[in-house]
Amino acid sequence: MPISGVVITGAAEKKQGLLERLGRLSGLEVYGDDDQGNIVAVLDTASSEAMEMLIDRINRDKDVFNVGVTYLNTEDEADRMTLETAVARPFGFKNPL
Amino acid sequence: MAQSRRDFIKRAAALSAASYVGISLPINDHNIAKAEQGVSWHRGSCRLCGVGCRVELGVKDGVPMGLRGISDSRTNFGFVCMKGMHFWKCMRHPDRLTMPLYREKKSDAFKEISWEQALDIAANRFGTAFRQGGGEAVAYYGSGQALTEETYLFQKIMRGGLQSNNVEGNPRLCMASAVGGYLSSFGADEPIGGYSDLEKAHCFFIVGSNTAEAHPVLFRRIMRRKLDNRETVKVINVDPRVSQTSRIADMHLQFKPGTDLALLNAMAHVIVEEKLYDEEFVKTYATFRKGKNEKTTFDDFKAKLADYTPEKAAKMCGDTFSPDQIRTAARWFAGSKGTVSLWTMGLNQRKRGVWANNLMHNLHILTGQLLKDGADSLSLTGQPNACGGVREGGGLCHILPGHRLVVKEKLRRQVENSWGVPEGRIPAKPGLHTMAMFSAVNEGKIKAIWINCTSPVQSLPNCNLYNKGMERDDVFIVCTDIFHTLTTQKANLVLPTAFHFEKTGVYGCTERRSQLTRKAIDPPGEAKPEVWIVREWASKLAAKLGDPVIAQCVKPFEGLEEGYELPKAIWDEYTQKLTAHRDNDLRGATYEVLGQMADGVQWPAPTREHALTGGTVKKFVKGIDPMADSESKDDLPYQFYGPAHPDRTLWIWLRDQADPEEVPDAEYPFYLSTGRIIDHWHTMSMTGRIPELLRANPYAYVEINPDDAKKLGIGPGDMVEIKSRRGVNILPAKVYQGPVEGMVFVYWHDQHKDRMINKVTKDAIDPGSKEPEFKICAVQVKRVSGPTPLKPFIV
Ligand code: SF4
Repeated sequence: MPISGVVITGAAEKKQGLLERLGRLSGLEVYGDDDQGNIVAVLDTASSEAMEMLIDRINRDKDVFNVGVTYLNTEDEADRMTLETAVARPFGFKNPL
Repeated sequence: MAQSRRDFIKRAAALSAASYVGISLPINDHNIAKAEQGVSWHRGSCRLCGVGCRVELGVKDGVPMGLRGISDSRTNFGFVCMKGMHFWKCMRHPDRLTMPLYREKKSDAFKEISWEQALDIAANRFGTAFRQGGGEAVAYYGSGQALTEETYLFQKIMRGGLQSNNVEGNPRLCMASAVGGYLSSFGADEPIGGYSDLEKAHCFFIVGSNTAEAHPVLFRRIMRRKLDNRETVKVINVDPRVSQTSRIADMHLQFKPGTDLALLNAMAHVIVEEKLYDEEFVKTYATFRKGKNEKTTFDDFKAKLADYTPEKAAKMCGDTFSPDQIRTAARWFAGSKGTVSLWTMGLNQRKRGVWANNLMHNLHILTGQLLKDGADSLSLTGQPNACGGVREGGGLCHILPGHRLVVKEKLRRQVENSWGVPEGRIPAKPGLHTMAMFSAVNEGKIKAIWINCTSPVQSLPNCNLYNKGMERDDVFIVCTDIFHTLTTQKANLVLPTAFHFEKTGVYGCTERRSQLTRKAIDPPGEAKPEVWIVREWASKLAAKLGDPVIAQCVKPFEGLEEGYELPKAIWDEYTQKLTAHRDNDLRGATYEVLGQMADGVQWPAPTREHALTGGTVKKFVKGIDPMADSESKDDLPYQFYGPAHPDRTLWIWLRDQADPEEVPDAEYPFYLSTGRIIDHWHTMSMTGRIPELLRANPYAYVEINPDDAKKLGIGPGDMVEIKSRRGVNILPAKVYQGPVEGMVFVYWHDQHKDRMINKVTKDAIDPGSKEPEFKICAVQVKRVSGPTPLKPFIV
C-alpha cells in the first residue's frame, strides 16, 4: 500500500478547474497549492499498480504539464519481505537458464 | 501498517513535496519523526539516466522500503521521475543473479559454480587467448552505467596488464559524437556550463531530444522556467517528431529526418546576414575551420552559408515550416539574454553526428551565447556515468584516464609511470571501437571478451549480424550483470554483481558533476561488486601468465575491504594521480568531500576548498574556474585551455548538410527513427522487471502519422511489419500525430524477437566518432493483420 508525495504542475490560470478534477480522484488528497500552478498532493493507493494508474490518470489531464514525485514509501511491502511472506511475483521471473 | 503510522507517513510525504516548491503546510516536524521510526536513509544518485538526480534510499530492517529526492541537490532539487522512483525495486528482485554460472559450450545449460572456480576459468580463458593472440585477442566492453572505479580498474588491467587497448563501452553508441563535437569546437570534452543555466535562460533550443520523457526531471526545470516567464522565455523544439517535449514549445520545427544540418546552417545564415552575431566575441575568441589543420576566414564562412538561405533550407527540410520561422528562431536564439541548447541522440546517432554537434556549437560561438549565466551548448547524457566513468576514466579504445589520447606517447608515459608499469606497456595504437570490436568477434579474431553491465545483443544496430559472432563457440564471453539479459544467453560465464546502493562508487552526470553513492545494503546471495571481481581475476591472471606487471596493477588494492575501502583506494589513485592538472582535475573531490555534499562536485576541482563549494559552475571563466586562472596566458576573462586546441580558440566549422547513409527509395519508402519512452530504460532488463513500469508500457509499438496510416490502411492497434534491408519487426500500430509524414518511430527497449528494433536499424557509423546512425534508416511499412493480443517478454 504505497504512499507518495507529488507536485502536480499545470497552467496557473487553469488551476481551479484542475483542483476540482483532482478532488474527484480517489486515493488523492490535495494538501496545498500556490500561484505558480503547483499543487501538492499525497497519493495513497492499495497497490503499486493502482499508484501507477493514478499518476497516469493525472498526467493525462489536459491541464497538467508534469507530475513530480518527491517521496515514495512502500514499507508495507518491505515488512512483508522481511517476514518472508509472499510478495506478488513480478512479471518476468523464470527459472535460471 | 497501523492507521496512525499511515497518517504520519502521508503527512511526511506532503511536507516533502511542499518543501520543494516552497509551500508551507500546517504540519509540524513531529510527523516526520514519527514516520521515520526504524527507517535509515542513505544518500546516493539515481541508478538510471544521465540527469544524476540525488536521492535517499530508505532502509528498514535491512530491506529497502522507499525513496525520496534530496531537496538541497543542485541536480534535481528533490524531484525524481517515476522511473527513478522505482529503480531500487531491482534490489530484492527474485530474478537477481546470485551465483556464478558457467557452461563450456553455448548450447549447454548453465551450472552454478563457486567464485574460486569462476575466477579460475576467466583467468584461464583470457590467459590462453592472450598467449595465442596477444592484446588483440582480448577485449573489454563496458557501460556508461558502471561506476567510475569499475571502468577505471577494468581498463587498467586491460591496458597495463593485458597490453590491450580493446577497451570500449556502450557510450560509443550514444555519446561519441558529442565528445567529437566538444573537442573539435571548444577544444575540450563536456559542457562549459550546466543545469544552473536552466533557471537563468531566456531561450531554450531543444533539438533531437524528447527531454520530457528521456530526462524528465530536467524537463521539469525547463518547464518551470517557461511557465514562470511565459512572455519572456521562448522554447524552440526542433524534431521530426512532435513529442511530450513539444507541449511547452512556442515553436516546433518538424523536418524531414536528417536535414537538420541545413536548418542549423540556415540559422547561422540569418545570424550573419542580419548581423545578430557578437562581433567582438568572435574576433577575440574564435577562428574558422575547414579541417583540423585548415584555417579559413569569416568571409569564407559567410560565402558557404549562401547555400543555406532560409528559403533553400526550408525546402531541403521538406517544406514543413516556412523560411520566416527559421528567421524567427534565429532571432530568438541570438537575441535572448541567454540561450541554452539541449540535445541528445537526435544529433549524436548520425552518420555526421560530429558535424551536427559542430553546427550546434557554431550558433553559440557566433552569438556569444556561452560562458555567461543562462547560456550554454549542453549535450544531455543518456546514461548515469557515460561522462564520469567512460569519457573521463579511460573507457574508450582511444582514450586513457584524464582525457588523454592513446596515440600521444607523452600521455601514455604519464599513465604508465602512475601505475608503476614499464614504459611501453600500453600499446601506441588505439584499440577497436565498438562496431569494429564486434566485427572482430564475428571474425573470431577476438577470442575472449568481457561484457560488463550492458547487453550488446540487443543494443547494437543491425544486431542480427553481430549476434552471429557472439554465438561462436571459439569466442569466450564473460558477462557481469545483476539479471539475465539477451547477452548473458550468449555467454559462457555469468558473474553476479552488486547493484547500486549495494556497493560504493561515483557517477559523473551530464554537467561534469561527480557524485558518490555509498553502500546501504548487502547484495543478495553471492553477488559481488565488480571492483572485487576484477581485482581477484587480475591476481589469478598474473599467476597464470607468470606476469608480475599484471600483479603490479592490483597491488595497491590488495586485501582492501570491498564495500568501501577498495573503491575509495581506486578513486584516490585515479583522481590524485591521473586527473592532476588535467582539464577534469578531481583532486579536491575525495570521498571525504563527496560524502559531505548533498549532490557532488563539478570539475575542475583541483583543491578541497574549491570542491567543497560544489566545484566549477562554468569552465574557462576566470574567477569561477580555477584552471582558467592557473592556465591563463593573457588578460582576457575567458581562457580556453582544453587539450585539443593548442591555439586556445573556439572553432567555428564550415560544414555542409550531409544526408543519412540510407534514405527512403521506391523499395523502402519510409524513414525509421527510434528512441526512449518515459517508463523504460535501455534493454528493459531492470525496468521490465518492475511491474509498475512494465504495465505502463508492456511492449514496443510503432508510431505512424495518421495520414500515412490512412494511405496504408492501418488502424490503431493493427499489427504492422517494419522491414529494412537488415531485418524485420512486427509491432502494433499507434496512429498518432507525432512523427512527420513519411517517418515511423519505434521504442528500442523491447526484448521480444519480433519487436527488437535494432534488428532493423543500420550500422553505418560517423567516420569521426564511430558512433552508429541508429536514428535514421529506410524501411517498408505494411499492415499484416488486425489487433493481436501480445505478451510482454523479458529473458
Ligand atoms: S530524471 Fe533520470 S536521474 Fe532523475 S530520477 Fe528520472 S531516471 Fe533518475
